[in-house]
Amino acid sequence: MPTLEHDELVFRFPSIEPDAQFSISFMRTLRIPDTEQIYSLPPGLGTFPLRHVEDHAENLPVRTLDRGGVIMPMWQAEAMWMNFNNDGPEWADEHSMETGYGLPVAIKIAAGKINAVSGEVWRPGLHRDPQDYAVSPAQPWLDGFAVEKGVIRQFVAMPLGDGYSVEEQLTQTSEWGGVQISVTPLKAEVWQRIKESGQFSLSKCCSSVDSLEMGLGAGGRMHQEIYEDGFDLEDWDFEATERVFISLIHAKDWMSISGEPASNEPPTAKDYSEAGLPWFDYYAKDLQALPGSDTLASVKSVAGIFKDKTGAQLVGSTDVQTGKPVILGPDLPGPRQVRSSTSW
Amino acid sequence: MRESRFKRSNPNHSAADQRIDTLGIVAYIGNMQRLKSNKLSSLGDYLRQRRETLAAKDPSFSLRQLAVRCGVTPAYLSRVERDEVPPPGEETLLKLAAELLEDPDVLLAMAGKISADLRQVILSRPKLFADLIRSIKSMPDQAVLKIVRDVRDGEW
Repeated sequence: MPTLEHDELVFRFPSIEPDAQFSISFMRTLRIPDTEQIYSLPPGLGTFPLRHVEDHAENLPVRTLDRGGVIMPMWQAEAMWMNFNNDGPEWADEHSMETGYGLPVAIKIAAGKINAVSGEVWRPGLHRDPQDYAVSPAQPWLDGFAVEKGVIRQFVAMPLGDGYSVEEQLTQTSEWGGVQISVTPLKAEVWQRIKESGQFSLSKCCSSVDSLEMGLGAGGRMHQEIYEDGFDLEDWDFEATERVFISLIHAKDWMSISGEPASNEPPTAKDYSEAGLPWFDYYAKDLQALPGSDTLASVKSVAGIFKDKTGAQLVGSTDVQTGKPVILGPDLPGPRQVRSSTSW
Repeated sequence: MRESRFKRSNPNHSAADQRIDTLGIVAYIGNMQRLKSNKLSSLGDYLRQRRETLAAKDPSFSLRQLAVRCGVTPAYLSRVERDEVPPPGEETLLKLAAELLEDPDVLLAMAGKISADLRQVILSRPKLFADLIRSIKSMPDQAVLKIVRDVRDGEW
């Protein structure tokens, strides 16, 4: 089972590689304007807290407890991205042309049980045509729903039941909300092949529902590629898959549920840009990007639904100047900047 | 705690087995720390308080009826509750834990015992687990709990 450590979900597969671990953290960020403009990657503004559902059982609906996993607070219309981190031996594989640190894993992400990469309803296993997962370490993060090749729509939290979530638009129900994750490691024999390929090094990585529940809708458009899997589908060890349900709690209810204060609402994209702070782009050369999902491309954005419902424009929907982004990549120095939310 | 450390200590065991074993030992230490922080006076006091709390709502938790269900005499259970005799054996303690809805490892720890399965784990690799326990004995409760807390999967 995964563990919760310092607000990260940590997955270990010691029977395959004792010296490796994979972790996911959920990063606070600013919501990019929901217009036709394609934005660069916004920064991380600190991690969202994660808590075991069992620790707050008396304050949560039974069905939240039944789903297990963790709870996480988000403000209405707040954005989020997921940060993937592989730690372990450095490796390179001639067969797949993949390189990286740690044991490679296939990550399947869904919101309201709608796959964020393929737009399909959640189903066990991993699939191709269309590929419904990303591979870490090739994929360093995921910021939203894959709507076309190289473009995602940002993950934005909205109250479940109001019709904003991707789940509600595609299934006409608001049954699940939250975020669902499964992590599948490579099969032991495939990992062994990589280790024996001679390019393996032991160096470590250097470099009608309860109102409190939230679902993820589709926000503004952002440049982000989700990369094609370089391994064969049968290389993945489905038997070793681990999964977690992350229930999203409205931040206004976080104190009454967890006894902890929720973080302040994040800055707007306008505030951020006017402060002259950087935006980012990521390029992984030699990796093919997936085409994106037609199903997800048909989903209405949060700002679009808001306008349909109210006739007004959602706050923060005016384009901002972002300047030239800082370019990140596997061969370039420096991680994506993570700024502390307390500085705002 | 990285599994590689265990692998070097005993290459004959798989890393997965070692992790499972490790969780049991760490849970035991967590229980001991919980007992320490709760400042519980003795096993007898604890059993009596727990039984009387339950008996206030359910008469089947009288000394006599509980003793019968646990396979001991009321006189003996009374002396256990007053700490006049050494703690009962593991079998009786496990029955008491089940009846009183208590964690069996907690009651065993209060009696200065560890369960047979944990004992077997330790005896199979005494040096490894002695090192492990010493390395985490001074950790704060939260740090120990962090080690043992897996994220449970549910129905979805």
